[in-house]
Amino acid sequence: MKRVGIDVGGTHTDLVLFDDEDHTLSVLKVPTSVDDPARASLDALAQLCEDAGCNVGDLDYFMHGTTIATNIVLERNGAKTGLVTTEGFRDILHIARHKRPQTFSLQLDLPWQSHPMVPRRRRFAVRERVCGPDGEVLTPLDEEQMRSVAQRLKETGVEAVSICFMFSFLNPVNEIRAREIIEEEAPGIFVTTSHEVVPQYREYERFSTTTLNAFVGPKTSAYLRRMEGELRKSGLKAPLHLMQSSGGCATVDAASRKPVSLLLSGPVGGLLGGIWCGKSAGVDNVISLDVGGTSADIGVAPGGEMQFKHLLNTQIADYHAMIPMAEVDAIGAGGGSIAYLDAGGQFQVGPRSAGANPGPACYGLGGSEPTATDCLVALGWIDPARFLGGRLPLNGDLARQAIEKHLAGPIGSSVEEAASGAIRILTHNMVQAIEVNSVRRGYDPRDFALVAFGGAGSVFAAAIATELSIAKVIIPTAPGLTSALGLLAADISYDSGQTVMTDTADPDFEALQSAYEALESDARSQLARDGFAEGQIRLLRYADCRYLGQGYELRAEAGGGPVDEKFAAHLRKSFDRAHHRAYGSSFPDKAVQIVNARVVAVGNIPELPVKSDVDGGSTGQTPEPRTTAPAAFHFDGRIQIVDTQRFRRTDLASGHRIEGPAIIEQMDTTTVIPPNRTATVDHAGNIIIPIAGGM
Amino acid sequence: MNPAPNNNTNDLVTLRVLGGAFNSIAREMAEVLYRMSNSSIIRESEDLGCGIFDATGRELCESETSPMHIGSIPFYIRGVLKKLEGDIDEGDIIIHNHPYFGASHTPDLAVIQPIFVDGNLVGFTGATAHLIDVGAAVPGLNTDLIDIFGEGTLYNGIKLFRKGKRNEDVWSILADSVRTPDMNAGDIEAMIAATRRGRDRFLELASRYGLDVVLSAANHWMDYSEQRLREAIRQIPDGDYQAESWLDNDGRNFEVPLKVKVTVMVRGDEVTIDLTGSADETSTAFNVPFDGSLKVACYYAVRTLLLDQALLEEFVPQNDGMFRPVKVEAPLGSIFNPRYPRACFARMAQCQRLIDCIIRALAPVIPERVTAGNAASVTSASYSGFDEAKGQYWVCVEVNEGSYGARATKDGLDTVDNLMANTRNVPCEELEMHYPLRVERYEMRSDSPGAGMWRGGVGHVREVRFLVDGFFSCNGDRFIEAPAGIFGGADGRPGSLTCNPDTDTAEAWPSKVSGYAVKAGALIQVMSPNSAGYGDPLKRAPQHVVEDWLDDIVSIEEAEQHYGIAIDPQTGAIDEERTAKLRSGDDA
Repeated sequence: MKRVGIDVGGTHTDLVLFDDEDHTLSVLKVPTSVDDPARASLDALAQLCEDAGCNVGDLDYFMHGTTIATNIVLERNGAKTGLVTTEGFRDILHIARHKRPQTFSLQLDLPWQSHPMVPRRRRFAVRERVCGPDGEVLTPLDEEQMRSVAQRLKETGVEAVSICFMFSFLNPVNEIRAREIIEEEAPGIFVTTSHEVVPQYREYERFSTTTLNAFVGPKTSAYLRRMEGELRKSGLKAPLHLMQSSGGCATVDAASRKPVSLLLSGPVGGLLGGIWCGKSAGVDNVISLDVGGTSADIGVAPGGEMQFKHLLNTQIADYHAMIPMAEVDAIGAGGGSIAYLDAGGQFQVGPRSAGANPGPACYGLGGSEPTATDCLVALGWIDPARFLGGRLPLNGDLARQAIEKHLAGPIGSSVEEAASGAIRILTHNMVQAIEVNSVRRGYDPRDFALVAFGGAGSVFAAAIATELSIAKVIIPTAPGLTSALGLLAADISYDSGQTVMTDTADPDFEALQSAYEALESDARSQLARDGFAEGQIRLLRYADCRYLGQGYELRAEAGGGPVDEKFAAHLRKSFDRAHHRAYGSSFPDKAVQIVNARVVAVGNIPELPVKSDVDGGSTGQTPEPRTTAPAAFHFDGRIQIVDTQRFRRTDLASGHRIEGPAIIEQMDTTTVIPPNRTATVDHAGNIIIPIAGGM
Repeated sequence: MNPAPNNNTNDLVTLRVLGGAFNSIAREMAEVLYRMSNSSIIRESEDLGCGIFDATGRELCESETSPMHIGSIPFYIRGVLKKLEGDIDEGDIIIHNHPYFGASHTPDLAVIQPIFVDGNLVGFTGATAHLIDVGAAVPGLNTDLIDIFGEGTLYNGIKLFRKGKRNEDVWSILADSVRTPDMNAGDIEAMIAATRRGRDRFLELASRYGLDVVLSAANHWMDYSEQRLREAIRQIPDGDYQAESWLDNDGRNFEVPLKVKVTVMVRGDEVTIDLTGSADETSTAFNVPFDGSLKVACYYAVRTLLLDQALLEEFVPQNDGMFRPVKVEAPLGSIFNPRYPRACFARMAQCQRLIDCIIRALAPVIPERVTAGNAASVTSASYSGFDEAKGQYWVCVEVNEGSYGARATKDGLDTVDNLMANTRNVPCEELEMHYPLRVERYEMRSDSPGAGMWRGGVGHVREVRFLVDGFFSCNGDRFIEAPAGIFGGADGRPGSLTCNPDTDTAEAWPSKVSGYAVKAGALIQVMSPNSAGYGDPLKRAPQHVVEDWLDDIVSIEEAEQHYGIAIDPQTGAIDEERTAKLRSGDDA
């Protein structure tokens, strides 16, 4: 089997190809083509296949992670979107849940009000109403009014429309009709309806999720369709899968209709990759830090398990998306982060980024403001001649000039001092974000390893771990490609559900049975289309349940076989256990309500093996450095320029030991071993830097 | 800023870990409570609070839920200690809601569990939540009462569990004395689970790090928060700063407004909030319990103004340290310090108004930290009825939001819970799935907020129809005096409550309604206040006025009259010439 993972980030596109037969791994990293992200991916895939000596048509497994939808939301450059909603409910998106994100504040902003996805002038209310609790149509859609709203949407020049009617999760008839009318009156607009995107109750969360879907929809779906079309043209036969925010996957068709499910697509690949690398180094408790050009993604996986956000806490940039999401947080800190003095003379770094184009000043592509990368060059941590393995030579003079002009000059410091200051600020920003996700949640960093990757994670890792007393740092063998590798470490899984309201005291066996059968048969045929044989498919049944009277459900494992008394008794016990696990108590005498039948269908992918040939005959004798050159470090309270050994990562093997200060160079990143730290290489080729002991 | 550096970096890390763990435990407790509970006021509105406290009731941490709850639990614990000191055993679970012994008000029941280490009482975990009905005179909310006994059953340090054993008699009283026994039982079970979770997590910390280390970290963080607040108070010039306002009435004597007078006395790094000069205690339930509500409101106001989370880069935890530099005074027998057995069910409106006064009093000295006049209201509405088939009442309480006054550099926030309230709304779809009610309108008010260089926030309008006969109650205020504009900004607009609006039978109701009988088909409209403007409206950026016009927030006429901006309604373009005239005052 040949599997390929493609991770398209804001700055770089990473590809990995693993051949299960001979355990060879081929990798490639290229700049993202921001104007048309598909182009770079497709060209690079052709190159990668050529390098690996195969054709695109030979690939069996294709997993794609993309930050396209995420960046649209973060940069707020989505489609010009209109909202059609029920009369009387024009401002649900503006009111949200009427709760402030900060309790003790008068000067706060509510992002959904200060930066609405749909301003009030494009929110149209029409006469229609479905009501609870049974979904009865109280007022049919006023078609004439709907037609005139469709005309106005067209005149306004909207590119996407979100249709969000009250109670459509019970009865979608009015939403369906409204969609038809818009498609008639204004063909070509991306239309999305709330009952399709998230058929669950709570109007704000549903409206917001649906409107996000519209906001990211046109750009994301156009990208996906183009990718798929081109891949087919180049001979791809394997199904194309998208990594979703939940760690499960989606087909191109499903993801094009529901791009909102891709919001954490990129970061989840990183977290999966971090967990996998941790395992390869024998560590379960992992903090993953993926630093790219524009942002740093942080995930905490105690016990090697991805954590999930509660459905009511799944936000992106303060917009609510009621879809399953792994716990990964992003901050604006990366190699492209711009260092500047703000209006008050304060030294700031990020979140503004120079991106890939024009990129840092040292790229020589017209960037004039100094970025983190420029500072790393000025400090001597990055050798300008060897950036990206020498594929993208940097201009060190331009870096120094930018720092001198914008930072060192105005501050009155040396270039090294200014650069070191910027790097320390950026490090501190990442420390704070990791602290929020680990320490502030009661996880003790001394029990965790920091798996640092991405193009720049390994530059900062030792300094971050020192500040947080993290036990040790793990730098994977291919740090720049860890997210892409994470895509290969995942099984193909689909999670689907259907609402069946019934209770265990008097269950509607027939309805449940047919719901499970329908879900299972859909999932099975999907996995068959994905090329899985019957023996590779696992189907797991769950039910979302609650004690009668409660408002939130818990997922409980449900048994296989016929849905009968025995099934009900098993589920009841399983729910009591789940409730006890979650809340510390259970109530075996209370009636249990079943809300949704769920099926998780998994197509098993062979585990990605840990590379173990890195110790090929090594004697443990650390090789000579490639060279020794001065680099500036901040230690003992001041900037010191010291002779620093430079190693090629490719020269290192298991058992080698390197004393800091040292710099390890490889194609896709640079690892910095600060003064007074020692790194070793483990059996899997990871660089391990012990920091706070502990583990 | 981090806690004071210590030579031993390991200690420094431990401090930060424990500080983080405290806050994480409080949040986890709140999540257990609202996810497990039954009534919508807890699980949707999150009208609840959770925290950990030391053996004397000092707060180590609190959940970021509704600030009215969380700051109050220390007073509940001290109330309980007054009665049970020396008689608290491992495995006890105590309930408490007595407003004259620290409770915030009767419906906010606390569940308190002691924490024992090696046989010694070392602290408590506590959870409070608004129970949907506590067996008061009328279902849901009450104002027109003559004394505390009309508010419902009072629990003064009662053991629901004694040494781990359920006290079934108390459970019977809890069920038999209320209109919603099933719901209350589910909610109390959720509170017990939350406090148990808090206790278990605390014990895990104690066994890993040692109790001494945990308690000394707790002390450290309290000192840290205290220092930060003292430092901020020191920035304000010493002096007495005053503001006044008038509450609508007490819920029975509808023609008699009630004065709120606030003096903020700043001396060095301490501040005293003095309510002397405010109205006398009322003969209804419109009084504020001194410990459990008034002090909490004052602490909230001082912290929020001086350590505003949006202006702080670092996390400063909310704990006992925040209370130390703040003194609160109100004469016994006044509306802010009523005498037993005055009823005090309805206390939120007074607390909100006094915070609004504190903000206005300090506006001249910290103009960049204040707001113009806020809605400063919480119009709580209860809808109820008797379900013959089930033989039980149904009761639904909605905590209606408000809006915020404008700020020095930006507009006020629209349609959001304000000041001491920070609940979530009850989704309209939740309401209709579970109650014989239908929400017909929930959006922004259609009239404009207070004009200013920065405009006030817009309030909301919510219309709910009864589908069966039932009862309606409301605890609100701010239907008469509008939020006050500052630095040249205009006042906002008051709120209102109307039965069957825009019909021949329309009736304007007062802000306080206790158990009106309502027929099936009646539509109840609640409007919250529009808040006030900050600075001269003629200095508002013209484009912002156009944006507000495009969004139906100001009319063409208001754009001219209030802001001096002439907009062409066809093109949306600004008529520069007329605008210049309007703004220079030359327009005849």
